[in-house]
Amino acid sequence: MLSVKNLHASVDGKEILRGIDLEVRAGEVHAIMGPNGSGKSTLASVLAGNEKFTVTEGSATFFGKDLLSMSIEDRARAGLFLGFQYPVEIPGVTMANFMKLAVNEQRKYRGEEPLTAAEFLRLMREKSAIVELSSKLTSRAVNEGFSGGEKKKNEIFQMAMLDPKLAILDETDSGLDIDALRIVATGVTKLHTPENATVVITHYQRLLDYIVPDVVHVLYKGRIIHTGDKTLALRLEKEGYDWLINAYEER
Amino acid sequence: MNGLDDSIRSFRRIEEGRLRIEREESAPFVAVDPAGLEIEVAADAAARLVIVHREAADTPVNVRIRLQEKARLTLTEVFLAPATVEMNLKQAAHSASRITTLQLAGADAAYRTELDGGQAESVLHGLFLVGGNEHGSVRLHTAHNVADCRSESLVKGVAGGTATGRFEGLVYVAPDAQRTDAQQQSRNVLLSDTARIDTLPQLEIYADDVKCSHGATVGRMDDEAILYMRQRGLSEAAARRLQLEGFAADVVRHCGIEPLCETLMEAVAEKMNEL
Repeated sequence: MLSVKNLHASVDGKEILRGIDLEVRAGEVHAIMGPNGSGKSTLASVLAGNEKFTVTEGSATFFGKDLLSMSIEDRARAGLFLGFQYPVEIPGVTMANFMKLAVNEQRKYRGEEPLTAAEFLRLMREKSAIVELSSKLTSRAVNEGFSGGEKKKNEIFQMAMLDPKLAILDETDSGLDIDALRIVATGVTKLHTPENATVVITHYQRLLDYIVPDVVHVLYKGRIIHTGDKTLALRLEKEGYDWLINAYEER
Repeated sequence: MNGLDDSIRSFRRIEEGRLRIEREESAPFVAVDPAGLEIEVAADAAARLVIVHREAADTPVNVRIRLQEKARLTLTEVFLAPATVEMNLKQAAHSASRITTLQLAGADAAYRTELDGGQAESVLHGLFLVGGNEHGSVRLHTAHNVADCRSESLVKGVAGGTATGRFEGLVYVAPDAQRTDAQQQSRNVLLSDTARIDTLPQLEIYADDVKCSHGATVGRMDDEAILYMRQRGLSEAAARRLQLEGFAADVVRHCGIEPLCETLMEAVAEKMNEL
C-alpha cells in the first residue's frame, strides 16, 4: 500500500532523510528503530505531510497515488494515520466534537453519509473500550490536562475511531508506565487486520513484545542501513546499534 | 439573536433599574438595555442575572452591585451593540461573584470589584470578539482590601480585520490583605496582520504574604494544533475555526445558566463568520 523510493527530505536547508526505501503491504507490521537523531520522526512527519519539511528527491505512493502531492488532510482521509509522539492540547475543543468532525470529514471523502448522533455515540463507546479510555475523557478538551498515558491512549482511541489503512505510530511507547504500555500496545494489536498495516517507530524492544513486527528496519543518518525480522529487535536490545553502525561506516 | 430572545424570555425582567434579592432565587433575572442598575443581594441570598446590551448607548451605563455577607451572584453580561458600562461591585465577607462578560460588538466594559470582607471571592471570565474596524476593551480593577480573599480572572480577546482590542487589569492588594490569592490572565489571538490588541496586566501589592500571579499573551493561532487536526482529516479552515471556537468556549462555558451558554456559543459562532 505504501511504496517509498529514494526519499530525501530536509528542514531549514539541513538534509535529514537521505534516501529512504520502504515497502509496506497490507497485513504487515513494520518497526523502525534507530538511535536518536537518525530521522525516524522526520520520516513519519514527511509521510504525514508536515509542511515544515521539504522533500528534495524521491517518491512516495499510497495505494498507487502520489502521496507527496496530497495535503495533510487528504492523506488522512485516504487512510493514513499518524500517532503523534507529543499529542497536542486543544483547549476548549471537546474530544467528542473533534472526533465527530474528523470521522465525518473522512466519511465525506469516501462518499459516505455522516454518522447520526446515535451512531457516533455508539462508535465512541465501542472504540474507547479498546484502550480502556474513560468516557469522562471524551467529554473533556482534546488532550488538555491528560496524563502522558492518557494522551497516548487517546491517540490509539482516535486511530480506532478513524480505522486507517496505514497507521504510523511515532514513539507511542515513550513516557508510558508498564500498565499503560500494555493497554496501548494491546489496543494496537486489536486494531490490526489483514487489510491494514502498522509502522511503529520505537526505541525499545518492550513495545515489540506486544506488537510483533514482520519487518524491523534500522534507520541511521537518514538511511535504512539494515532490515531484518523480529529477532533483529531482540539483538539490538542486547547489543545496541554499534555493530550495525560500525559495519555501515566501514562500507 | 432569536435564540437569545428565546433563552431569556422565561427570565424575570428587571424594569425599574433596581433590584433587591432577599433569598435564594432559582429563576434568573434579566435586564435588557438598562440605563443604570442597582442590585443588592442580601445576606445568604443568591441570584443569577443576565444583562443584555442590544442598543448602542451614548452615555455610560452605571451598574452598582452590593453583595452582603455570604451572598452569591452569577452575572452574565452580553454586548450585542457598542455600549459603555461601568460596574461597581462591593463584596462583604464570604460573598461570591461569578461574572461572565461577552462582547460580540466593540464595547467598553469596566469592572471594579471591592473585596471588603474576609473570604470574599470574585471570579470573572471575559471574551471580546472584534472585527472590521471595531474596538473592544475590558478593564478590571480588583481590590483586595482585607485579608483572606480570592480573585481569579481570565479575559480572552480575538481581533480580525483592522479591529483593535484592549485589556487593562489591575489587582490591588492592601497593606493588611494577607493571604490574598489573586490570579489574572489575559489571552489574545490576532487573526490578521492589521488587527491589534494591547494588554496591560498589573499587580499592585502592599502585603507580603500573598499568592498572586498574572500573565498575558498576544499571538496567532497554534500551528501545532492546526497540524494535529488536519492529520485527523479536518481541512485547514475547519481546524482554524474549531480552534477559535474552542478558545471562546473556554470562557462561554462559565456562564452558569445552562441553555443560555449554548445560545451564547451559537452567537459567538455567528460573530466569528464576520471576523
